Parts: sequence; structure tokens; C-alpha cells
Amino acid sequence: MTAAALATAAYGGVLAVAFTRDGSVAAELAPGAALGTLFLLFALARGGVLLGFALWLAGASYVAGIVAAGHAVDATAPVVALLLLLCGELAAWSLDERPWILAGDLLEWRRGAALGGLALAGLVVSALILALSAVPAGHGLFWTALGAAAAVGVAGTAAALAGR
Amino acid sequence: MTRFTSPRVSAYAALAASGLVAGLALGRVEPVALAAPFALALVAAAMAGREPHISARLSLERERAIEGDEVTATIELSTDAARLELLPVLPEELATEDGAAQAVHLRPKEERTIELTLRCERWGALSVGPLLVRARDPLAFRSWEAAVGEPQLLRVYPREETLRSLVAPLETQVFAGNQVSRVRGEGIEFADLRAWQPGDRIRRVNWRASALRGELWVNEQHPERNTDVVLFLDTFAEVRAEGRSTHDRAVRAAATLAHVYLQRKDRVALVGFGGYLSWILPQSGAKQLYAIADTLLTSDIVHSFAIRGVDVLPPRTLPPKALVLALTPLLDDRTAAALLDLRARGYDLIVVEVSPVEIVTPEPGSRLELPHRLWRLSREALRWRYEQVGVPVVLWRDDEPLAAPLEEVNAFRHLARPA
Repeated sequence: MTAAALATAAYGGVLAVAFTRDGSVAAELAPGAALGTLFLLFALARGGVLLGFALWLAGASYVAGIVAAGHAVDATAPVVALLLLLCGELAAWSLDERPWILAGDLLEWRRGAALGGLALAGLVVSALILALSAVPAGHGLFWTALGAAAAVGVAGTAAALAGR
Repeated sequence: MTRFTSPRVSAYAALAASGLVAGLALGRVEPVALAAPFALALVAAAMAGREPHISARLSLERERAIEGDEVTATIELSTDAARLELLPVLPEELATEDGAAQAVHLRPKEERTIELTLRCERWGALSVGPLLVRARDPLAFRSWEAAVGEPQLLRVYPREETLRSLVAPLETQVFAGNQVSRVRGEGIEFADLRAWQPGDRIRRVNWRASALRGELWVNEQHPERNTDVVLFLDTFAEVRAEGRSTHDRAVRAAATLAHVYLQRKDRVALVGFGGYLSWILPQSGAKQLYAIADTLLTSDIVHSFAIRGVDVLPPRTLPPKALVLALTPLLDDRTAAALLDLRARGYDLIVVEVSPVEIVTPEPGSRLELPHRLWRLSREALRWRYEQVGVPVVLWRDDEPLAAPLEEVNAFRHLARPA
């Protein structure tokens, strides 16, 4: 129940950021946000694939909000990404818990620690991406080599994971 | 083991892909930043995808118990999974205090023993296990499920009641036992006096009676003999509601009667008369008690449309002069007909009616009151049929001890001598 409440709060946080980017498009964003909230509540009650749709709608609302706001890079994007990830993970956690299964506090702490680690790593990566986007294109051989290595790394990681 | 992947893995993949495509299409970095944590979560999910090692063994403290007993089940476990959920498959006749499902975490190479206290709520030959296990990675992206361990058999015998007296058969058999026979012969119980005849032993002479009459008179005694008892269990139908069942009570009564009659050195037979026919030939001794108890454990109500009479029973199951104690809820006409057939063949028959009436009593003022009353009238009519042929039918209500109907039979036999 606590995890479900926290997931809902995180979802509300994403929507709040989306709505405050540009107040003029709030009316256009409202239907999608409402539908996403409904999807989230239904997913929290019954599980299923609606959780993914809810997250997608919240993310889309945020992107629409920042696009409407203008060309400046939104510095809150890593926080929004973190909130979206927390929303998904906490909702899944609340669905995984079964009241009839006796589980000690240690198991809860372990999962909480794993989730915290993932969230922190996600925040760092997201912030890094935002920071690296500020590097101007064609700024030297080092950045070009780094970009190529990153591209190769992503492709290699994807290939390795697909093989598992 | 069967592997399952959380549905949010595919959702995260779609979100990550959407973010990257949106970043390219819009020429902005924010969608890519949104996608990054989800892509990272996918990497974490893939890296935690190794199948865990699980070793579990289920054992029971003992193989036999009595209704109401508590039996300890032990689970010996070792695993390297981040979270392991255990669920022993338990029959509904067994209950646990806090539920049987548990989640544990063990360090690599650590072994743990988990004890479960099982309370035996109902008799039966019960199968405990196997263990259903579900292992998960730390963030539950992947899970593995399997059934491990062999099922263990637990025999829960019916709870017995205390009986101070039993129904004595009208006729005894030829072997020595604890039942005082109606016939006269060598024994302990005084029966009568008669005039001396050539061949009578001198120690049987009653000197006081001889002195009074002026000729020799001798004592006669009732010999102590054993009896044959057939427990006739009706398994055609039952009434079961809210944890109460006519069949359960009948089985408990049969177990009690078998125990007490066998203690008296009588021979006891068992007939399960219903959709599934079962029988045990009359024998005496502790071995027979276990045979009857084991047969009772597997007795169940099997619905059948086959027309059955007592002809289908092996003749040795129903020895001559046997006392037939029928335990029946009187719900099926085939049982009623078979019992009347037994009476017509001269068996000493007693019908203990395991009353289903209290179990299905309708609410006062409901529409079911009239059919319920008609049903009770039809049952009374059936009882009257039995009484017309000299068969005592005693009602055993849900809240009464078994001794009550047996005392009623004894009273009936004192007042009315069966034909």
C-alpha cells in the first residue's frame, strides 16, 4: 500500500512538472494526463500492461510541455526521468507483495536498496546525458572518439543483452 | 524451472525506444534523458538473468496423526536467489497458524531449516507437498518457478468418542469372548436351575436348592462368547455445509465402534456401501483395527446412478447372526432398500441415522421452510417403515455424543423384543 501511494505521488510529480512548463497548453495536456492516471490506478489495482501506457502518457505529457515552452533545455529532465522510473518500480513492487506470504523486513530492505541504487544510477546517467548535450559538435578529436566509443558500447551492450 | 519475465521489462523497452525516437524527431535531449534510466533498468534486468540454484526437501515429523493433532513439517532449504518464495501444497484438511507461504533470502551456500506447524482439521490420507518455489532477482525483473521435493503421505485418523456401553447383539458366535450369551452352557453368569441329569458335573450341583427340594438340582450358566459386528457405512450421499458433514461424523462413529468392539475381542467387518463399494472381512485384533481405519481414511462420497443391492457384497462380509450397525444419513433410496433387504434376511440390524437436518435448517420465515418440513416428513415415513419390520432407527443429532443413540438402542431393546 505504501509503495502504491509513493508510485502515485511520483506520477503526480511528473504531471506537475509537465503542467508547469507552459501553462498555455495545460488544457491540451489534461486529457492525456487524466487517462494516464486512470491507467496507473487500474494497473495498481489489477496489474497488467497498463502500467507501461501510464508511464508513456506521463512522459509524453512532459515532452509536450517542454516543447511548448520553447527551445531551452529543461534542467529538470533527470528528475522527471527519476520520478517516472520510481513510479514504475514502486508500482511493480506493490503488485509483487502478497499479504499472505510471510516476508521479513530484511527482504524489504534489500529490494529498497536495489531500487535506490538503480534510481541513483538512472539519475546520474540522465544528468550525464543532459550535460554532454551541451558539448558543441565538432569540438575536437577527443569528443568525436568518445562519441564513437559510446555508440559502439551501446551497440555491443544491446547485442550482449539480446543474447541472454 | 520455468522462467517468467515481468511485463514491465517490455514496457521499459518501449519507453526507452520511444524516448530515443522522440529525441531524434524533435531534436531535443530531454526525451533521451527520460529514456536513459529505463535503458539502464533493462541492462540491470538482463544482467540479473542467471537461473538460481534451489535445493529444498520437505519432511514430516511423523506419518500418522489423529484429528486435532499438530504435526511439524520441516523444509531444508538452500538457494542463491535474492528472494525465494515457498508455498507447500497443503490439502484443505490441514491448517497452519500464519499461513504456509514464506519468503526468504539466504546467503550463498547457507542452509536453512524452516518448520511449519500443521494442524490436522479433518481425517484422511493426505498428501503434503510438493513445494512450490518462486525465485526472483533483486528487482523482480525475472522470476523462476518450480515444484521441488516429493509429496509426503500423512494419515490423519478420525477422532474417537468415549463410549461406556455398546449395543449387544441378539446372538453370539461360537468362540470365547466378552459378551454374555443368551444360550446356556459353561460360563460364569448364572442363568437358571434345573434338575440333575446323568452326566452333570458334581461341582455344578446347587446344594441349597437340592436340600430344599429333596433331590439334586444343578446351576446353569450363560457362556461368554464373541460376536460378529458389521459396520455398514452409507457412502452414496452426504450433506456438507459450513465445515459440518454427515459423512465425517459417520466415519468418526465407525472408527470409534470398530475400536471398542475389537477391544472386546469381537470380530468386526466394514462395508462401505455407495458409488464406490469397499469391504473388509470380519476379523479381530489390532491388525484389523488398522485395516478398518485405513479403509475409512480413503472412504469418500462417490455419486453413482448404479442400482446396487446387498447381493453385490461377498457373502463372507456378512456372517450369519452378525449385528449390522448401519451409519447412514438416510438420503439415498438404495441404502434404505439394502438395509430392509438385510433385515429380511434375518440380520440383527440397527440403523443409526446421522442426522443431516440440523445442517440444512432454513432461516425462519424463508420459503424453504415448507419443502424442509416435507422432507422431514418423508424421513419420518421412512423411519416408520423400518420400525414396522422391527428395526430400531435412532437419530444421531449433530450436537450429541455417539453414546446417546446407542443408549437409545439399548432402551429400545429392553422395551421391545425384535422379531
